[in-house]
Amino acid sequence: MPDNAQQKIEAYLGRLRQLLRGMNSEDANEIVEELRSHLAEKAAANGQITAAGVDAALTLLGTPEELATQYTTDALLARAEVSRSPLRILESLFRWASLSVAGFLVLLTSIVGYFLGGALMLCAVLKTIHPQSGGLWAFPNGADTEFSLRLGFGTPPPGGRDLLGWWIVPVGLIVGCGLVILTTRLALWCFRQYRQSLVLPRR
Amino acid sequence: MKGHAPSEQDSIDKWEVQLRKGCLELAILAALWEGKLYGLEILRRLESDSDLIVSEGTVYPLLSRLKVLGLVRSEWVESDAGHPRKYYALTAAGKHRSREMAAMWSRFSSSMSRLLAPLTKEK
Repeated sequence: MPDNAQQKIEAYLGRLRQLLRGMNSEDANEIVEELRSHLAEKAAANGQITAAGVDAALTLLGTPEELATQYTTDALLARAEVSRSPLRILESLFRWASLSVAGFLVLLTSIVGYFLGGALMLCAVLKTIHPQSGGLWAFPNGADTEFSLRLGFGTPPPGGRDLLGWWIVPVGLIVGCGLVILTTRLALWCFRQYRQSLVLPRR
Repeated sequence: MKGHAPSEQDSIDKWEVQLRKGCLELAILAALWEGKLYGLEILRRLESDSDLIVSEGTVYPLLSRLKVLGLVRSEWVESDAGHPRKYYALTAAGKHRSREMAAMWSRFSSSMSRLLAPLTKEK
């Protein structure tokens, strides 16, 4: 039965490799090789790999799906924690979003957070170049008042009012920067909660 | 599943799983304290030296996480068994972290033991 046993191992590892394709291929290959080595030793009884041994060893590892989810989230989380750059975080969140609905929601929130933070900082910087038309503006739109973060391109809308004036420079930089930091913290926190919640196959 | 209060049993089980998982990182670092080991050796060490019932599918991803964090490093070593093995060893940062975590753990566990003493006394 060793052929059958070997086939089972290959089918399992093939499926796992497929699920890890989002990772860089060197890391994914190393994971597969490590598990191949693990299975070869774990499934062997008296130096011989048996079909029953393979079944038992595979059950203890969990399904390829469970294993891949753990590898992916663990790797993403570790990399995001090491670098903390918004780009790295967003990259990790994109992958997480492909794994779960929660990830998708956190991704959406983070995009909004980073976008708003970035826009505030950009607005603060561009105000120094377009002092007349940049900044946070309010202007009438029918019965309502509309608020708009203007980067200063084009002319301000008629009847508009620059709400902050030069204050947009410090306010934009501080609030924008704070928003980016807050978004990073929130995303990492959610990510950690998710990792903790992954329930594992129990023996 | 028992008929009565399955949700209570469920939440105790979940709590236990979280408790084990919280300790697992320190347990792995501790297993590596005396020298390099490969994955299956780490698993065996955890089984024989502790009653941390560990699912094998958790340890390998955790090892690669510890590697990304720079707490362990790994190398492939050829073996007599006919397949190479991936050995893990603590880095300097890993040793430092293990010591810190162990000290924290000792403080934590002795205060918990004091606190729990009345609950665990024999009836």
